[in-house]
Amino acid sequence: MFTGLVDNRPVLDRWFNPQKTPVVGEKPDYRFSLANERTFLAWIRTALALLAGGLACAQFLPPLQIAYLREGIAIALLLLGGVVALRAVDHWARTERAMRLGTDLPKSRFPAVLALVVALGAVLLVAAVVIKVFW
Amino acid sequence: MSPDPGASAERTRMAWRRTGLSATAVALLAARPAFTPGAGAGTYLAAAVALGSWAALVGLAYRRARGLAAAPPRPGQRTITAYAAITVGFTIIGTVLVLL
Repeated sequence: MFTGLVDNRPVLDRWFNPQKTPVVGEKPDYRFSLANERTFLAWIRTALALLAGGLACAQFLPPLQIAYLREGIAIALLLLGGVVALRAVDHWARTERAMRLGTDLPKSRFPAVLALVVALGAVLLVAAVVIKVFW
Repeated sequence: MSPDPGASAERTRMAWRRTGLSATAVALLAARPAFTPGAGAGTYLAAAVALGSWAALVGLAYRRARGLAAAPPRPGQRTITAYAAITVGFTIIGTVLVLL
């Protein structure tokens, strides 16, 4: 009964040809597909903001007291941006597939994880500033 | 029914434009080191790749805008994946720039 729901194709093929996926699926209302596309674009903007932040750290921060800390912060932000972009396209493809098959939309812990990572980074920076001011 | 119920095609086209503006900021930041004194060959190369990638992103957005103007709008598919791939490419360009 569910044989048509199993997608054994390589991930890259799934990303590039989500419309090929469903053996039993149907083309969803295009408005749903466009909403999925706008969600993808919002994640890409999040990724681009992280990339811009990483580049700005490398270019506009003075050298920090700990060697290579500035470069480390910059590369961490750049890598985070790359992960967000990859996850954006994967989530877009899986959502498109779920809509075609009429199954539940994919659930994701990623937004919560990203929020915690960003919050942790902010707390560390606040701590660094406070330590620098009072010690 | 109106040609574009809920204006979803128009909203999607504007989302592509916003994203393109964000990409412009990233590309300019990636190209900036090439315009500082003492820039090396690697910095020039990274700037050239960044501006080329930016041109590719703009091209993809235009292509998608044409697809969205059709009635009904055509699906995005490869344009979307290519856009994400180039965004990941900026991660690599940026990391190279930081390590140079």
